[in-house]
Amino acid sequence: MTRAKLPPWLLLLMPAFLILAAVVLVPLLLSLYSSFTPYQLTRPETLWKINFPFNYEKALTDPGFWKAFGRTVLLLTIALNLEMLLGLGLALMVAKVQRGQRTLRTMMMFPMMFSPILVGFMFKFIFNDNVGLVNNALQSMGLASTAIPWLVDGNLALFAIICAEVWMSTSVFAILILAGLFALPQDPLEAAKVDGCTPWQSFRYVTLPFLMPFIYIAMAIRSLDVARAYDIVQVMTGGGPAKRTELLWTMIGRTGYVDARMGYANAMGYIAILLSIAFTVYFFLKLQSARRELGMGD
Amino acid sequence: MKGFGAGSVLALVASFGFAPAAMAEGEFAGVTIEAKLIGGQQYEALYSRIADWEKATGATVKIISQKNHFELDKEYKADIAAGTTGWCVGSNHSSFASQYPALFTDLAALVPAESIAGFVPANITAATIDGKLTMLPRAQFDVSALYYQKSLYADPAKAEAWKAKTGKDLAPPETWDEFRDQAIFFADPPNFYGTQYAGKDEAINGRFYELVVANGGKMFNDDMSPAFNSPEGKEALQWFVDLYKAGAVPPGTTNYLWDDLGNGFASGTVALNLDWPGWSGFFNDPSASKVAGNVGVAPAPKGSAGVRTGWSGFHGFSVTESCANKEAAASLVDFLTNEDSQKLESAPGPLPSRTAVWEYVIEQAKDDPYKSEVLAAFQETALTAFPVPPTPYWIESGNLIFPELQAAILGDKTVDQALEDASAAVDDLMRENGVY
Repeated sequence: MTRAKLPPWLLLLMPAFLILAAVVLVPLLLSLYSSFTPYQLTRPETLWKINFPFNYEKALTDPGFWKAFGRTVLLLTIALNLEMLLGLGLALMVAKVQRGQRTLRTMMMFPMMFSPILVGFMFKFIFNDNVGLVNNALQSMGLASTAIPWLVDGNLALFAIICAEVWMSTSVFAILILAGLFALPQDPLEAAKVDGCTPWQSFRYVTLPFLMPFIYIAMAIRSLDVARAYDIVQVMTGGGPAKRTELLWTMIGRTGYVDARMGYANAMGYIAILLSIAFTVYFFLKLQSARRELGMGD
Repeated sequence: MKGFGAGSVLALVASFGFAPAAMAEGEFAGVTIEAKLIGGQQYEALYSRIADWEKATGATVKIISQKNHFELDKEYKADIAAGTTGWCVGSNHSSFASQYPALFTDLAALVPAESIAGFVPANITAATIDGKLTMLPRAQFDVSALYYQKSLYADPAKAEAWKAKTGKDLAPPETWDEFRDQAIFFADPPNFYGTQYAGKDEAINGRFYELVVANGGKMFNDDMSPAFNSPEGKEALQWFVDLYKAGAVPPGTTNYLWDDLGNGFASGTVALNLDWPGWSGFFNDPSASKVAGNVGVAPAPKGSAGVRTGWSGFHGFSVTESCANKEAAASLVDFLTNEDSQKLESAPGPLPSRTAVWEYVIEQAKDDPYKSEVLAAFQETALTAFPVPPTPYWIESGNLIFPELQAAILGDKTVDQALEDASAAVDDLMRENGVY
């Protein structure tokens, strides 16, 4: 009688599988399971009752959830595009600098080093209606006679949150695009110059297509970040007032940890993940087509 | 019989003159008590006494977490979920306590009856949930009274204008209607506001709740179904809406919490401020406040039913059910809430929860007119104070109510619509949780 032996390749891969299962698969499956239950943190026994599909139906039929979903998509779209444009501009300017470029590159990364919580507090103070820098500056310059409620009006609050996001993360784009600019071969640019292209034409038809794969990688990374936006919004407005700045994760965070309804929060979380997946798939498809255009294959 | 032996020994020790703390020399030698305590400058002075308790009992206290109550609340919920409740002493609050029905033990079985009898009876009643004394109150009893800038009432031009407008003498408001009218009268935005209010989370719910009660209504029926969508509730919400619409409050008030209010009044840009006793020292401290020397304090105004607002709460200490040495933990809690501890903690302004300490602080303040005024105003308000409704869903239902209150204040919804939506959401919550 011989014992069945596992093939060596499987044995060798086993530690990696086990670690992945422990740190990724088990928490994922547990949270997925709890989304099928009325699990409340303060009542551990509720983890063993199944109420599927109640949580999912409740989330999918809740207008508040869809409004938060829409607001998250809006924030994502505006913040990503602004960060991309500003990051591109910043990278192009820094690439032109001959002396002190290293110092500039390091300085450019400073905002990324701040904790999002700290950035949230900083911008909350800047946009405070009573003692904030913006209102005081506007009133001192005679541009406003009343206190502008930056963090109360829905559109202004979204603008303030986008300012904070853009300030902190534009450098992600700038650094990645700068890396693309350094890798840019000079021959096509010189050929374009010889052929009489204007600087704009050189940028539009030579530089930009080459940079697109870098831009899409930055977009994919940042879309995951922004779709999970929580810290900055939580500090600046907490999703309010009157849910005017409620995003998916401020809503999910409050449901899970303040209301202790983890089962329902996880169900909303799993629906929200679809958003992240959709954006990631979209940017990877764009990345592939941009690489194909450059003849870099799949 | 659980707890009888220790309890009776401790009671004997206390009766033989080892009071106020129910502890004996080296009684808990070698025991380590893990504690999760509320953090913050105003709470720290008391913790310096822990070393005295350690020295007396031989036990060691290990503080394993120090956060504000909102963060502690999340941590307790995570502990319950993970089953990591082996620590012993935790800060608690009357507004949060009903959410953790099984986490904390009954202190009545562990603390000498004489010690419990020394607390203000209403505080002990509010700390008793489902028949269990879940915490011992510390000297952090909270109820709000009215702070105002005295100079506004001493200004003859203002007094004359007010008299011409209303036919009445200008004096600190005694009703919430007068309060609103005066706030609108004093306001000169964006440089000066009549008042301000906390605009989110439990803070605005609490204010709304006390106004509903002051108007003669109630937040919940006896079966815990929502009762705030009533004429009294509408009158209460309309009060917030009127002030906001008139520009008598800062436009960002719906994002304000307690610190914003305290700092706002201290900045000298707010006329009237309903606030907690803990701010009294800060407001009158010239190094921290622009209104120092100009602060008047009056009892909370009355609503349309002739009842004062009086949403009250208090901080306390609890002992977990899973604590390995509950007697030692209860001894620590008893020590931190005894007369000496409360005298120390109430010295800078917070209100005590022991009857004897109330008498002590009043006696101590008799030569200080400001302190005497503060104590008189808060004592008067405390007489008719009331705790939050006894439901574990107070915080969760509040999270459904406050966005609707904000929606009415900001004009996104009418008062009727906002209260109808909030009431329907709370009704769904209660039904979903099988409350009725």
